[in-house]
Amino acid sequence: MYNIKVRGVLIQGNKSYHDITRDITNPLLSKTTPLWWWISAFLASVMLAWGVWGFYNTIVVGIGTWGLNNSVSWGWAIINFVWWIGIGHAGTAFSIFLLVLHQKWRTSINRAAEAMTIFAVMAAGMFPLIHMGRIWNGFFIFPYPNTRGPLWDNFNSPLFWDVTAISTYLTASFLFWYVGMMPDFATIRERTTSKIKKKIYGILSFGWLGNARGWLRFESAALLMGGLTAPLVISVHSIVATDFAAGIVPGWHSTIFPPFFVVGAIFSGFSMVLTMMIIVRKVYKFEEYVTQSHLDAITRILTFVSLIMGVAYISEIFIAWYSDSPYEMFVFFHNRASGEYAFEYWAMILFNAIIPQLFWFKKIRKNVAIVFIISILINVGMWYERFVIVVTSLSKTFLPSTWHNYYPTATEVAIYVGTIGFFILGVLLFLRFLPIMAVSELKGINKETSIVTEKPENHE
Amino acid sequence: MNNQNQILGVFDDPDVVTDAVSELVKNNIRIKDVYSPFPLEHVWELLKMKTRLPYATFLYGAFGTASVFAFLYWTSVINYPLIFGGKPTNSLSFVVIMFVLTILSGVIFTLGTYLVREKMWPGKKVELPDNGSMDDKFVIVIEKDKNMDESAVNNINELLKKSGAIEVK
Repeated sequence: MYNIKVRGVLIQGNKSYHDITRDITNPLLSKTTPLWWWISAFLASVMLAWGVWGFYNTIVVGIGTWGLNNSVSWGWAIINFVWWIGIGHAGTAFSIFLLVLHQKWRTSINRAAEAMTIFAVMAAGMFPLIHMGRIWNGFFIFPYPNTRGPLWDNFNSPLFWDVTAISTYLTASFLFWYVGMMPDFATIRERTTSKIKKKIYGILSFGWLGNARGWLRFESAALLMGGLTAPLVISVHSIVATDFAAGIVPGWHSTIFPPFFVVGAIFSGFSMVLTMMIIVRKVYKFEEYVTQSHLDAITRILTFVSLIMGVAYISEIFIAWYSDSPYEMFVFFHNRASGEYAFEYWAMILFNAIIPQLFWFKKIRKNVAIVFIISILINVGMWYERFVIVVTSLSKTFLPSTWHNYYPTATEVAIYVGTIGFFILGVLLFLRFLPIMAVSELKGINKETSIVTEKPENHE
Repeated sequence: MNNQNQILGVFDDPDVVTDAVSELVKNNIRIKDVYSPFPLEHVWELLKMKTRLPYATFLYGAFGTASVFAFLYWTSVINYPLIFGGKPTNSLSFVVIMFVLTILSGVIFTLGTYLVREKMWPGKKVELPDNGSMDDKFVIVIEKDKNMDESAVNNINELLKKSGAIEVK
């Protein structure tokens, strides 16, 4: 009667439902916070504090504290913005794409990936805000009836689309993430013995009951919200790409940009998920939930996406040559592949297109330490990619007299490090106070995929 | 909430509880609700439960598309027709914002409708028939009818036990 194809064991250790509740909720119900948590939270706070200094410096003194100049008017801020948005694509990609593709192995990872999305998108959002210079006039971007005409926004500008798309993405991802946690909050509410925790998680659970009709509506609402959010993964980064592609700058003005950016975003997002899950499974001893086969599946996806990245790089070079435009030729052959930014360019090619190809070998996929290192290298490579796109194109455009090199200042570095601190702190708070994995979803796949069940006679 | 007006059948296996529900439905016993730690899709089918949420979402999306277009048209064509590079004020690229905000209105209003229909709000006090249904138990709740006599109740209890309930109360 309940025939479901078995892909393999998704949760190892032949867990009962109670074991799952216990394993996932115990870390957050425990009264003691582990030492590693305090140390990482301290380091992240120090990073964040430096970032706050960078913010303060920029607001009080102005954009002049950055290394920008008339030619390179977009520097680290835009590089880091695109980098964070890319990382922020993992959550929805995991939750929705793999849901649509019936990939049940997503279950033990999606909650953490979604949390990562929220914090990464928030970190990304800080850059356009601070890049405005006069941050107190930031509300001008909202189309509201004003005394300036009323003068409306330019609704045909990719920069305005960006604001709309990113705030929508953040809102929708947050709501989807939160709704998914309500049943788990209720589980914690019923399980905790502490009165304060019972009260807090009771409020957060919205009075979740878990009855049949409630589940039916919940599943329907979650599927609708998820299904609606899925196209945003494509649209957000396509719109970010049009920020570049709509500009008539050699190296940017290309139709390949939207798909190229979307693929790059999924690439960096998945590798960040890999980095985080390798740490989480080690620290929380969740090897039975995030199994070797989970890591294997992610590395296989990364191999494939890395091939797409490689093809995109090659086709960019080919089109630069084929277009016969001297400016395009100059950007790709003289300013990227050789010249003062050659190191960044070749690092990008090496980390994004070549090193992930090592995942073809089973021995490397099975070696968690190497997988961890490669997952970090991919994000370094993706950062270089954005650096190459932004800086090489802007530093040398059509008029040689405007050529100018770009070097970041301490303020810019501080803001970047600060957002990393913010992100780590956010993830740490998530790990400490919220259910790291979707308890109810794990229970849902437990029976389907475990080969040995407790009561085999009950299967028809 | 386990008062005298209800019969609770507690199970510890999703397949067993689904079979029990189908057995009860076959015997024309009205099931009030089934509480479970994760969704049981077959139970919805057996209890003939349906939701009209997708239709509502479609309407919200359509409302979002229409209202965003109306706003863009009013601001860019009627209220302040500013010409950029000789392009028409009623631009095709409105599609981008319409697309994104359609999704936003769909997501927000769907969630709102869900919370209203389920009567859920932050801090709502609830009592479960059995706490175990948040952990590893599956609970069938049957309401005792006024004209249900002793034997009918016993019959239901027997049926629940026979279907594999670990506890009937």
